[in-house]
Amino acid sequence: MEANPTDTSGQAPAKFAGAGAPLYELAGLERTFSKGGMVVRAVRGVDLVINSGEMVSLEGPSGSGKSTLLQLLGALDSPTGGSIRFADRDLAGLSDKSLTKIRAQDIGFVFQHFNLIPTLTAEGNVAVAMFPNHVHSHERLERAKELLNQVGLGHRLNHLPSRLSGGEQQRVAIARALANRPSVIIADEPTGNLDSDTAKEVMATLIALRESAGVTIVVATHDEDVASLTDRRVRMRDGEIREDSAA
Amino acid sequence: MFSPGYAWNELRRRWARTLVTAIGLAAGVGLVMGIIGVSEGLSDAQNRVLSPLGSVGTDIIVTRTIAPTTDKTSTTTTTTPVREVVGPGGGGGGFFAGNVPGASLGSSSQAATLLNNNASVITDLAKLGPAGTKFTHDFFVPGTLITFPSVAVSDVAKLPDVTSAVGALSLQALHESGTVPKITNKVKEGGQTIKTTVTPPVLTPTQTANERACIQKLVQGNLSKDSGTSGSSGTSGSSGPSGPSGSGGGGPPPGGKHRFQIFVGGLSSNPAFEKCLTPAQISYNQNVVVPEQTITQILKPPTTNTATSSYTVAGVNPTSGTTGLITKSQLVSGTWFTSNPADEVLVNTAYASTKKLKVNGTITINAKNYKIVGLVAPTLTGDVSDVYFPLSTIQSLASAPKFVNEVLVDVKSASDVAAVTTEIKKELPGATVLTSKSLADEVTGSLTNAHKLANDLGGALAIVVLLAAFLIAGLLTLSSVAKRVREIGSLRAIGWTRGAVVRQVIAETVGIGLVGGLIGIGIGVGVCAIIGAVGPGLSITATGLTVGASSVSSLLGQSTTATATTIVHLSAPVHLTTILLAFAGALVGGLLAGIAGGWRAARLAPASALRDLG
Repeated sequence: MEANPTDTSGQAPAKFAGAGAPLYELAGLERTFSKGGMVVRAVRGVDLVINSGEMVSLEGPSGSGKSTLLQLLGALDSPTGGSIRFADRDLAGLSDKSLTKIRAQDIGFVFQHFNLIPTLTAEGNVAVAMFPNHVHSHERLERAKELLNQVGLGHRLNHLPSRLSGGEQQRVAIARALANRPSVIIADEPTGNLDSDTAKEVMATLIALRESAGVTIVVATHDEDVASLTDRRVRMRDGEIREDSAA
Repeated sequence: MFSPGYAWNELRRRWARTLVTAIGLAAGVGLVMGIIGVSEGLSDAQNRVLSPLGSVGTDIIVTRTIAPTTDKTSTTTTTTPVREVVGPGGGGGGFFAGNVPGASLGSSSQAATLLNNNASVITDLAKLGPAGTKFTHDFFVPGTLITFPSVAVSDVAKLPDVTSAVGALSLQALHESGTVPKITNKVKEGGQTIKTTVTPPVLTPTQTANERACIQKLVQGNLSKDSGTSGSSGTSGSSGPSGPSGSGGGGPPPGGKHRFQIFVGGLSSNPAFEKCLTPAQISYNQNVVVPEQTITQILKPPTTNTATSSYTVAGVNPTSGTTGLITKSQLVSGTWFTSNPADEVLVNTAYASTKKLKVNGTITINAKNYKIVGLVAPTLTGDVSDVYFPLSTIQSLASAPKFVNEVLVDVKSASDVAAVTTEIKKELPGATVLTSKSLADEVTGSLTNAHKLANDLGGALAIVVLLAAFLIAGLLTLSSVAKRVREIGSLRAIGWTRGAVVRQVIAETVGIGLVGGLIGIGIGVGVCAIIGAVGPGLSITATGLTVGASSVSSLLGQSTTATATTIVHLSAPVHLTTILLAFAGALVGGLLAGIAGGWRAARLAPASALRDLG
């Protein structure tokens, strides 16, 4: 794909010091759910370190706990046990408000179903991510334009999601994930709804951004082809990490 | 804070949802506007009807109406057509009490006064000329409002807190035209035969000798042609052909008895012979009497072709243009009474249009022309007349100089009304004192019912309608939020706080409320316009305050309480406050719907963005 990500490392704020340093440090991480009197341990004592700038794939069948782990990594959920440090902060026990703030400033998301706002244009969808950070509306649009250019959609700024192809929508989502210059992009099955060619294009875009922006990427996927494109593959089963290619 | 661009795009691009929710709110506020409009229309109508006093610059009207009575016989107690007259020092306004202390007797006296006042209508047509004379005549009667001396006006004016008091005379005019009826009665006389049998007194021989000597002397002293009668022994005192009764004719009676013989053109016709008769004979002659006879004949009632129409007139003070039954402000065209108003009239526009009367035209009443100087549109009072005269003119037309039947009182401030009312009742016992409030209490009819209904039910209905609209908007918003779970979850995931999401939802629904408000105003204005166009007429009935509308039947004692019914066309005015209220209502509806939707959105976990919702 003709993705042409510009070098944004110069603009990246010093949210997290130095590439290669640990971004995530998980120790004995637990997440249990109570459902109708039954306790389900979705994540069971996970120890994991993800370094800054890494591109990690998280694999496993349904019910393996990879989605729960992804939510914990994305600060969308809080653990019930153990610790999870992200960019030198312990996410365990943080309030919803604090987690929201961390997500707004330091984490980007890419979803399987793109999750674009149907009533906003490509540009609007990217800009809306900057709204919680009190970025001036003019500046938001400028940055959105810039990011969409980076993902090769400079000519689609004013298109509604319904007028874009799946691959284009996902690239808009990637631009949105980058809007607040995050340290990490959490991608949940980013190619799950795309054909294999488009999936490759999207992955190429992500890989290019990782290199240009120095952003850490965690991808949950079933797709062997996608996983093979990452630096490190972590396999889960029954809430535990069964295999880590880095180990 | 919220993102206006986002909200705008939500409303614009989900226009169907926006419109449905907005129309729900709009229908609600539109109906509420209609309800408010009807309620205000009814209030306006009632105020128009109920503020006749205020509208003519008058706070109190003093009249003397007949008290309702069930005693029918009392109306016939007095037949002497004498107007009640009160002496100048006669204890202020005693005439109001009807001169009788007891209440029931008072009312019978009032009834009598009422009949007297209205007596001129049952007038003797013969007064209008000899039979067969064509006549056109206007009679003026006070109807149910009994007249009283105008001294009452100055009595009231002297009371404290009274700014001014003006007298007025409201009358019912009966316009009659036709021919004075001829009443004929033929009585046949004459042709009777009267038989009289008399036995004259027997004369003494001396009397006979004297009489004979006297007659002979007369005969001899007169004409020789009478020689044939010289031997007559008597004369007949009766005229006519009746012959002598008894036996014998011609020659002198053999004895001392003398009988009169009757001659045609007899001696008795000659007064000279009477000198010769004895007093008894003369006296007899004078006592003959024709016997009495009774003639009975059935007469047909007289036929007349009298046509009667009625209208109402009032006498007003031509120099008082601000207080009175009509005021200068009610002048529609033409001018007010001039400085020499005796022959001038002001005509009610409604009457003028019916009778095709125009300014500078004339009205002829009892062979006198009155110039129409202006047309007036009196407010809907209990006392609207067709033609307004200067007071003195109408007083002379009604043959009631110095009499009025209404006093219009202006008090210094509204708070004085109650006190002045009490004062007037004290000063003029028996007077009927009407204030705006007392008028309102006496008003009934469908308008009042509708107004009461609008007040009682309208408010509740408006609230129910509004709540229903809010509920619809809230449910639609909740459903909309439920459909946007992934979108809202995504917003939460990418860093939107709960507050930001709630504010965004509220911004959208308030925007819908704004649209709904605008549509609702359109609906409301339309509803009100339709109500105004096809709105039913509502009647309002006022009891006991009318003059002009009273009928002859009521003043003849068949009914002692006059009522006036007015039809008021229902309209639903749209006031700015109503519009603002409707708009605010729609915004509140939007806000409440937004709060409901926002509450639902805030409960969505950010992780829901990751769920596979299919």
